[in-house]
Amino acid sequence: MECVVQGIIEAQHVDALEILLQGLCGVPKERLRIHELCLKSGANLGTVSSEVRLLCDLEQPVPTWTVRHVGGAMKGAGAEQISVLVRTMLESKVSKNALRFFYALGYKLDHELLRVGFAFHFQRGARITVTVTSANKMLKLHATEEAVQVTPGIQLVEVTAPAAADNYHDVVAAVSSFCEYLAPLLHLSKPGISTGVVPTAAAAATSLMSTTGGKAL
Amino acid sequence: MPLKWILHWQPNAGTTVNSQILTEVSQCAESINGTKDGRWKSTITYYKPMSRDPNAPGEYPRDFLGISLQEQPNKYYCIIRGQKIVLEADSSIQMIMEKLQSYKSRVSLNFEGFQYKLGDFKVRVGKVVVSHNESLRGIVMEVEYLPISSLEKSRQIMEEFVDIWQETISRKSLPGHFMHIDTNFTEYGLSDHYSSQHTAVQYATVMAQLLATVRS
Repeated sequence: MECVVQGIIEAQHVDALEILLQGLCGVPKERLRIHELCLKSGANLGTVSSEVRLLCDLEQPVPTWTVRHVGGAMKGAGAEQISVLVRTMLESKVSKNALRFFYALGYKLDHELLRVGFAFHFQRGARITVTVTSANKMLKLHATEEAVQVTPGIQLVEVTAPAAADNYHDVVAAVSSFCEYLAPLLHLSKPGISTGVVPTAAAAATSLMSTTGGKAL
Repeated sequence: MPLKWILHWQPNAGTTVNSQILTEVSQCAESINGTKDGRWKSTITYYKPMSRDPNAPGEYPRDFLGISLQEQPNKYYCIIRGQKIVLEADSSIQMIMEKLQSYKSRVSLNFEGFQYKLGDFKVRVGKVVVSHNESLRGIVMEVEYLPISSLEKSRQIMEEFVDIWQETISRKSLPGHFMHIDTNFTEYGLSDHYSSQHTAVQYATVMAQLLATVRS
């Protein structure tokens, strides 16, 4: 399972966010270029309809493939009260013929995206990953070289951390606490709950850029 | 990685496989100076599609095979035989398949026994049993040649080894013989350089052969 929160940031403040994250992390960012294919089970396959994502990491010298299944969010009064979404998430590295394999099993391509951006990894009470990406759609099937931004001017920020049934309380606390560092630049909330951009972002970004001379630390 | 040939026991017409044959075959491995070198185990699981309406047609295969190999304990291999696809995945793919509820694991077969070291070769002889049921369904053996990874370059030496093995077995006058099926790995998009995907494909081939033998 994993703990996750999301938020959005205006593209003009992404440099400031990067400076903040790099300051917190201490190591340079990891570039991201992920081709994400969302597949859904074909008609009549499965007792319930199902969805699986194939992620192709195009940033690697030889692209690598991962299958990801995101399950339902934890429910109940306890889950409602916390500000972080806890959900099941399973991943498996797979060989490059994964798409052909899932097509053969009876899955169909629902949509595909190219996510471009960067990631930072932290060890702060949990293994926290922050990704900042822009979503791009392909004008032609699988044509990642000709992708165009879906929401120009806006990027998605996602904070995730792996968790287990016996430690998710601690991981939720670690993620919540981490989000406070980013609060001047963006609101982070459970996926699906849009909180928009924060009014303090411009001032916080200006401050961050001026203290570092606008350069990554 | 070292390459392997996987052979299966083909009983003579009208006979069936039994544990006495397995004992005798294991003795053969020792009689040609094979030294026992631990146990081995591989597992094949059949996954069948689940459908909301069993009467409605579906665009999916009749089954696929999931294979776990001792040589790659953290990996899992999925094979769709009809379309000649072999997928290499982490073991966690099994949990993903479970969550998707589109295919269900129906039956698992274990291939297990002892391995023997013979110079540059490793021979593994074992029984095929349905998990949770000890009745013998077949006998398989793996012949691994450690120095070479090229299928083509090793062909002659593998053939020579198998000839010696068949000769040793024939002295026992057992009701059957070991059979090696030459698998066309190119159809699965695999190269001449041996990998665990080659092993998985060979297991799928042997499995199909064992089923055919049982049916006939």
